[in-house]
Amino acid sequence: MIRALCRHFREAFQGIFRHFAMSLSSASAVTFALILVSGMMLIIGNISQITMDLQESVNIFVRIDQDVEEDRVAILQMAIEHIEGVNTVTYSDKDEELNKLIEEFGEDGKMFEIYRGENNPLSRAFVVEIKQNYKISDVSAQISKIPGVSEAVFGGTNTEMFIEMLTVIRTGGVVVVLVLAVLAMFLISNTIKITIAARQKEISIMRHVGATNSYIRMPFVLEGIFIGLMGSVIPILITIMGYDYFYYTMGGKLITGLLSLQPTIPFVFYVSGVLAAMGVFVGFVGSIISVNKKLRWKR
Amino acid sequence: MLVLENVGKTYKNGVKALHDINLNIEQSEFVYIIGNTGSGKSTLIKLIDGEEVPTKGNVKVVGINVGKLKHSKVPLYRRNIGVVFQDFRLLEHKTVFENVAFALEVINMKKLDIRRRVREVLELVDLADKANSFPHELSGGQQQRVAIARAIANRPKLLIADEPTGNLDPMTSKTIIDLLEKINQEEKTTILMVTHDVALVDSNRHRTIVLQNGYIVADAQDGGYFRDQSIM
Ligand SMILES: Nc1ncnc2c1ncn2[C@@H]1O[C@H](COP(=O)(O)OP(=O)(O)O)[C@@H](O)[C@H]1O
Ligand SMILES: [Mg+2]
Repeated sequence: MIRALCRHFREAFQGIFRHFAMSLSSASAVTFALILVSGMMLIIGNISQITMDLQESVNIFVRIDQDVEEDRVAILQMAIEHIEGVNTVTYSDKDEELNKLIEEFGEDGKMFEIYRGENNPLSRAFVVEIKQNYKISDVSAQISKIPGVSEAVFGGTNTEMFIEMLTVIRTGGVVVVLVLAVLAMFLISNTIKITIAARQKEISIMRHVGATNSYIRMPFVLEGIFIGLMGSVIPILITIMGYDYFYYTMGGKLITGLLSLQPTIPFVFYVSGVLAAMGVFVGFVGSIISVNKKLRWKR
Repeated sequence: MLVLENVGKTYKNGVKALHDINLNIEQSEFVYIIGNTGSGKSTLIKLIDGEEVPTKGNVKVVGINVGKLKHSKVPLYRRNIGVVFQDFRLLEHKTVFENVAFALEVINMKKLDIRRRVREVLELVDLADKANSFPHELSGGQQQRVAIARAIANRPKLLIADEPTGNLDPMTSKTIIDLLEKINQEEKTTILMVTHDVALVDSNRHRTIVLQNGYIVADAQDGGYFRDQSIM
């Protein structure tokens, strides 16, 4: 078993070095794909954090008409709760709205205390939190149509666009990575095909003296896996060193300083693990394609 | 040890290569198969080494029904037989020693056992002094002896040779036959040799089976007289 494994490894390495240029170009396709994957994972790993923060800030603020009777408020709340995409609805009366206002203005806010009571000009309001994957603008538009609602506002189209942009980047990135991965598999499978062709005589002798099918296939599969792994080395180095550098130059914070970045460790190790696994996977699939096509033994 | 019962082989393209072959070969027999080009000799050998499946009948070798074997079992079955070809099929970048060792490595034999056995068979084919030579440094006859050494390294019960002297001059052919006879006697290996070489069949007589258009037309225990019948 060990003896056979040693031999398979030796043969696999020989295969790589015999067709070094081919192996290298296949590996570099893997490298490009994985650098992109790495970039995306680093962004997504941080952005899922960021979008969660943003999502929280994109509650809809619903102002209630002044002439809605106090006992109608609960009915209005139910009407909003029934709208598709609404998660929670929190009522906030005039008093609470005033508290918020005072709080927002800090020390100077004290002067608004004179409005407390009958003279409070503020509207009663609902704070509506929406479910994930619903468009704030759609939900907001529906709420504003309900009689008794004077207006429904949310954190502005900017946040919404930002979130939408992230989704586009994410899906676009996945598509690009998939295309590159397929290309890498194709190149690896071609490299393996050439190695197999160069060893046709050995393979035929092995068959005649009774080497098992898995024994004959193993070196070629290993070769593909090694090429995939080779391709993941540079992306892993870039990930670890690049993210570490980025994290320290940013001081662990992003943009406004409100959003904190994932700490380098263990984050980069997770990402590196995934990159290595993807390299192995791409190499494995690439070589299996050729091995199944060229080394299937039929009679 | 080798039994063919009503064996027929029709290739996918419709060519009927063998018809209703019945044959029984005992352990440690030496048998020639002769016949014109296209008479089905190579097909017969492919049925025996499991490369082709008979369309009719049974091929049984050392008690194994070769045609009925599962794909995954064919390699293990093949460890019972050795095959030698007309074109030697040696690996150019390996030495004589490595060429023979290769056949044992790929069936997972221990390194120490491999070394011992390779020395032994190189001794047997009288090439011990060429162990470190490369195939291109050897004569045709020597290369074929390496191929024979490789084929018998795993002590097969049956050695099949498809025109092993086809590329060799008469003198050299004689040494190959002498070697096969020696293996047949010393190792008790059953030998099945396909040949075109009438002179050889005549000089080193053994049971001779004649194939013609896919039929066995003669099977002579003492062999050697087919030339007179002008079948060849
Ligand atoms: N793989 C194959 N596919 C189709 N026909 C074949 C194949 N191999 C051999 N044949 C045909 O079968 C017949 C017997 O061939 P073969 O067994 O090679 O004869 P021999 O070895 O005696 O010259 C020939 O007519 C040949 O063309
Ligand atoms: Mg032939």
